[in-house]
Amino acid sequence: MVKPLVLEQVTKQFGDKTAVNGISLQVEEGEIYGLLGGNGAGKTTTMRMVLGLIYPDDGRILYHGQGYSSELQQKMGYLPEERGLYPKIKVSDQIIYLARLKGMSAQEADKSLRYWLERFEVPDYYNKKIEELSKGNQQKMGFIAAVVHKPKILILDEAFSGLDPVNVELLKATVKELRDEGTSILFSTHRMEHVEELCSNITILQRSNTVLQGNIQDIKKRYPREEVLLHTTGEVTGLEAIPGVERIDRRERGYSIRISEVSAAQHILRRAMEDSVVEHFEIKEPTLNQIFIKEVGESHE
Amino acid sequence: MNKLLPIISFTFANKVKTKSFVVTTVIFAILLSIGIHVPYLIQLFSGNEGTGTQIGLVYGNQPEIAESIEAFVDQQPGAKITFVRYEQANEQALVNDLENGTIQGYLEFGEAVGLQFPKVIYTSKKDSLDWTLQSALQPALENAKMQYVTKGSALTEEQIAAISAPVVIEELKTDQAGAGAAGPGSSTKTAIINYVIVYALIILFFMTNMMTGNMIAAEVTSEKSSRIMEILITSVSPLAQMFGKILGMFLIGLLQIIIFIAVVAANLALPYNQASLAEFELDLSQMDLSILIIGLIFYILGYFLYATLYAAVGSIVSRTEDLGQAVMPITMLSLAAFYVAMFSLSSPNSLLLKVCSYIPFVSPVTILLRYGAGDAALLEVGLSLLILIAAIVFFSWLAAKIYRTGVLLYGKRPTLKELRKAMKAYKI
Repeated sequence: MVKPLVLEQVTKQFGDKTAVNGISLQVEEGEIYGLLGGNGAGKTTTMRMVLGLIYPDDGRILYHGQGYSSELQQKMGYLPEERGLYPKIKVSDQIIYLARLKGMSAQEADKSLRYWLERFEVPDYYNKKIEELSKGNQQKMGFIAAVVHKPKILILDEAFSGLDPVNVELLKATVKELRDEGTSILFSTHRMEHVEELCSNITILQRSNTVLQGNIQDIKKRYPREEVLLHTTGEVTGLEAIPGVERIDRRERGYSIRISEVSAAQHILRRAMEDSVVEHFEIKEPTLNQIFIKEVGESHE
Repeated sequence: MNKLLPIISFTFANKVKTKSFVVTTVIFAILLSIGIHVPYLIQLFSGNEGTGTQIGLVYGNQPEIAESIEAFVDQQPGAKITFVRYEQANEQALVNDLENGTIQGYLEFGEAVGLQFPKVIYTSKKDSLDWTLQSALQPALENAKMQYVTKGSALTEEQIAAISAPVVIEELKTDQAGAGAAGPGSSTKTAIINYVIVYALIILFFMTNMMTGNMIAAEVTSEKSSRIMEILITSVSPLAQMFGKILGMFLIGLLQIIIFIAVVAANLALPYNQASLAEFELDLSQMDLSILIIGLIFYILGYFLYATLYAAVGSIVSRTEDLGQAVMPITMLSLAAFYVAMFSLSSPNSLLLKVCSYIPFVSPVTILLRYGAGDAALLEVGLSLLILIAAIVFFSWLAAKIYRTGVLLYGKRPTLKELRKAMKAYKI
């Protein structure tokens, strides 16, 4: 089975500045691939190269095993970070137009648009102008514009930025739905919790270099578990005496304990059981956020 | 290519619906209608005055001259002046009549010195003689002078009439000599209507070029500033996008022209305007069709040449506010073409025009002028056409490159050097 999207050692230079330095990644069918990185890390340039807007200086990009061709435009959907639509034109007019540019017939496009408006529970926007909609709703229309032609490869640049939590959930559910239908999605964001929920594989870029790559679970295993969450009915004493315990924070219902080695966790649990009744005990795995800050923050120095 | 059609129809449909398009079209249509009605309106207003302007004529010491002037003016058809006789230069009576508006002014004559025609003095409340009055009085005075000077000489009436008749220059061209021989005078008349066509096409070219060109540039810039461009360029090749836009706008321009022509035709068809049209001696049946065809070909090609440049400039600019400044050089170029053509209308065979008719940006209007009013051969027209087409191919290619690069560049307007660097970086 050929992978829908493969990047091999892709490099791009703008003058003396290297924008992307030897990035390699593979996106499976029905997978959401997370592309993370701070501002100016090279995410947008990578996405633009995938879209065929600019050509890589080195390396290659394969779509279902093939190089770039203009027919691919019909199979790709793109939601740019700074998205925009024609402000003074009706939603139906412009989305059908964009879908037709992607090779859809007007009837198909109309049907697809109506489906999506129904999906987002806003069928009455069909005849509204973009400028009449709220910002969040404009973004939803932008999302529809990116997926209306049923792309095989979808590129979402900061898809959820500027949306309220309800709409984020709605869009997240939609993205998952698309994934389950077999769409390959390249997804960039600053928000780690979204990545943890949606993606199985990620690449973290830092100043045009790949600093971390792979399956989220594997990555997390590489980082030591450093935090223990303990909820008990009564007070537990003598925790600070356990070797490996670094810091203890008193919480509303218990303790948050930082440890330097995982073995200390077992001692903490034993100690807690002796003193009180344990309601909740968890050795927390590091969040992606922590890993990101650790990786990106360190190389900042 | 199958994507071109949606772009054209989308551009067209959305521009037609905009307020600015509707408003400008309506305003121009109204202005055109008013313009066509001007001769009729003038007639209407002057007709209302009935007897026209009343002017005092002081017989005083030159009764003969006064009489011949009055006789001459009375003989003129549609004379707009009537005279009120004053036997003597009675200052008080004249001033009174001037004050209460019975007369607009009065003519009086000085003493005759020898054979010299006496000095003519026109007194009115206003400080200068108005133009229409002067043009009505001038021939009357000339005539009176003729009679005064020749009085008593041996000249017969016919001789006097022959002296006073104006000289007529009949224009004939060697290549039209055959036609001239067949029907004398017909060649000059064809030239008039052809001049009108050339003139109209040049103005049309200039106007639509400016208007649609600016619309194209504004459209591209607004797509860029609203960031929809990022989606567009991932859907369609920039070349198709650019030409779709140019063609869509061309149809807009065409629609506008058709509306204007319809307005003009409808106005001219009104019965009371027919008479004023006839006065200009324009006979549409004598129109040279080849001028119109060549004119339209060059008009369309010239439009494309300019339109590609406007699109390229529009793609470089990120904000609509900066557009006016960026478009300036192209505006200058089309202004230059316009003025070269306008100033050469009377000398269509000048060297300047010959040179200009092979320079792409000015050739659409200059070659038309040379063909329609001058002596350009079809071969020269063909050569000019070839150069123009070559220029269009080159500039479309260049504009597409700039467009492709420009739409991805945000921020301040790039310099030529930055643009070239970006082109290299994007591998375009």
